Amino acid sequence: MTEAAVGARESVVDEPRRTLEVYRWMLWSRLFEEECGRRNPRWFPVEGEEATIVGSFFDLRPDDVAAPHYRGPFVVYAMRGAEPWRLAAQALGRSDGYSRGRSVPFSGPLSVNIVPWVAGDLGTTLGVATGAGLAFAYEGSDRVCVVSFGDGTANRGDFHENLNLAACWNLPVVYVCQHNGWAISESAESYLPAPIAARAAGYGMPGESVDGNDVDAVRETVGRAVQRARRGDGPSLIEARTYRLGGHWSADRSPYRAAGAAEPWRAREPLAAFAARLKEAGLADSDALSELTQQLQAEVTEAFARAERSPEPGPDELGWEAPP
Amino acid sequence: MSRVTFAEALVGAIADEMRRDPDVFLIGQDIGPFGGAMQGARGLFDEFGPRRVRDAPISESAMVGAAIGAALQGKRPIVEISFGEFLPCAMNQIVLQAANLRYMTDGDARVPVTIRTRVGDGPYRGHPQSYEAWFAHVPGLKVVMPSTPADARGLMTAAIRDDDPVLVFEQMFLYHAIRDEVPDGEHVVPIGPARLARAGLDVTVVATAWMVHRALEAARQLATEGIDVEVIDLRSLAPWDDDMVLRSVHKTGRLVVAHEAWKVGGIGAEIAAAVAERAFSHLRAPIARVGAPSIPIPSAAPLRTRVIPSAEQIGDAVRVTARDAGPAV
Ligand SMILES: Cc1ncc(C[n+]2csc(CCOP(=O)(O)OP(=O)(O)O)c2C)c(N)n1
Repeated sequence: MTEAAVGARESVVDEPRRTLEVYRWMLWSRLFEEECGRRNPRWFPVEGEEATIVGSFFDLRPDDVAAPHYRGPFVVYAMRGAEPWRLAAQALGRSDGYSRGRSVPFSGPLSVNIVPWVAGDLGTTLGVATGAGLAFAYEGSDRVCVVSFGDGTANRGDFHENLNLAACWNLPVVYVCQHNGWAISESAESYLPAPIAARAAGYGMPGESVDGNDVDAVRETVGRAVQRARRGDGPSLIEARTYRLGGHWSADRSPYRAAGAAEPWRAREPLAAFAARLKEAGLADSDALSELTQQLQAEVTEAFARAERSPEPGPDELGWEAPP
Repeated sequence: MSRVTFAEALVGAIADEMRRDPDVFLIGQDIGPFGGAMQGARGLFDEFGPRRVRDAPISESAMVGAAIGAALQGKRPIVEISFGEFLPCAMNQIVLQAANLRYMTDGDARVPVTIRTRVGDGPYRGHPQSYEAWFAHVPGLKVVMPSTPADARGLMTAAIRDDDPVLVFEQMFLYHAIRDEVPDGEHVVPIGPARLARAGLDVTVVATAWMVHRALEAARQLATEGIDVEVIDLRSLAPWDDDMVLRSVHKTGRLVVAHEAWKVGGIGAEIAAAVAERAFSHLRAPIARVGAPSIPIPSAAPLRTRVIPSAEQIGDAVRVTARDAGPAV
């Protein structure tokens, strides 16, 4: 990614090449994550949330830090240069995975400037991401950190402490809530009496709500907040409204959700809408899009095939003190 | 007697206490229609409804703090922390508020709060770290960790009825794996006394939760080799049954402690130290400790399997201890 392409952009109606690249990554995420779900009934489905995820991180500079939410972070790692087959190995817990089977499966390589997932305690990555912002402010650099987290995670005390600290110290951090309406079986109405974006006022930072299924809108809103942070004007809070179309995990049929509740959102799922717009704008026709799907599916299949040839981590890979 | 799983026994105890005492209620994530993590609250919402089975935001510190506050107002809340890995989020409330209130108010304040949580390896294969020893370290907290459905029911009941804060550690491997006899009706297992899981003459093994089963497995093998192992299921970590352990060591002169949690600073270290302090002259061999090595419990199954103590490891520790011929007392 070139630096010129970043930050200065006012609108995402930018060159067709970049628009197509965004589409490509959203589709890659859909296919890659589906493959994970097929192999692991405990995988956390991402379907429907791709516009928020890709839109929040696509325009970052390579030297910025990305701290994506646990649901769907692989595309963020991949956009920043992680190797798909090693991400597949990470998902499968194999030796060639970036954590070699040690961390939770949804982690990635530090070399691409991310905040890794080690355990599954939600909310703590907000602190580590804020710390990236602290380092950048301390250095006087114009790097920024974007961190995303769920609408459920927003109720951890870490949310409050970190947003307040970032505001007090004017840190270059953009907090993006990947608001998918659910926290396992609980619906957001039950744990969010007020919109998350409205909390920003209490911390003295800008807060904005955006349609999380509209990737252009997400890029534009996050992009503005990133520019603000880069200029040294401090943190922002963005609430991207999207929807968890699948279960909490792949095998979860969501019996706690009213029948048909997901349907209006399924009709608005971001990939189909994006594809329609691409066709309308003359950027791609049906043939080109189905060709792209086939090509990406082949890449994903190949990545998993290679990952499966990676051995299970052996006892000698435990590290540290060997068991007695 | 009914044959129930470990999870069903826990839920049964909570349901019975909620029927018996209108001040008992449950706070947790996904305990409503979903039925709790690993179905550990199954059916409670249907029976008791949203006033008494309260789905909470992901706010562990507030959940425990609110439970303590409600307890000071005469309620007897149970807080479900879905997995032990999230206990640290609520640490202040547990170790500084819940633990200290009674002592520091000279007994004016009582904190009848039960905190239940899931630890260890299990079918779900997530959140495997075991933190129970931290809480046994803190005065003012009671800590229980059952290994059988009957004790799960009895200790949960005792925890809810206790006027002090009690943490109930529910080992996940045991959750659905065992179906066993549980007495019908009132069944209370007092907090403190251990359970003699197997009587033996040669070596004492003190174990917790899943490792009780592995110790018994090891004992069956060792019996064929002529080593008669006594297995004590500690089941209550704070307070713990020094009396039963010391009596057993007086008899066998040999002690092995075994738990799934890390060996360093584990509850086994406390037991080993107490036995060394108080029964040194009865020991005929060095005490052996079996626990996880000092590695964060890894995620991938082959690594985790290697870290968690096996029946073979317990067996090997017993063999070494049995071989070591100290002076007979
Ligand atoms: C501190 C903590 N508490 C509870 C959990 C258990 N848990 C795992 S995922 C999840 C729901 C998270 O909801 P949200 O943040 O909205 O993200 P989503 O799953 O919707 O993507 C919960 C409660 C956890 N991982 N960490």
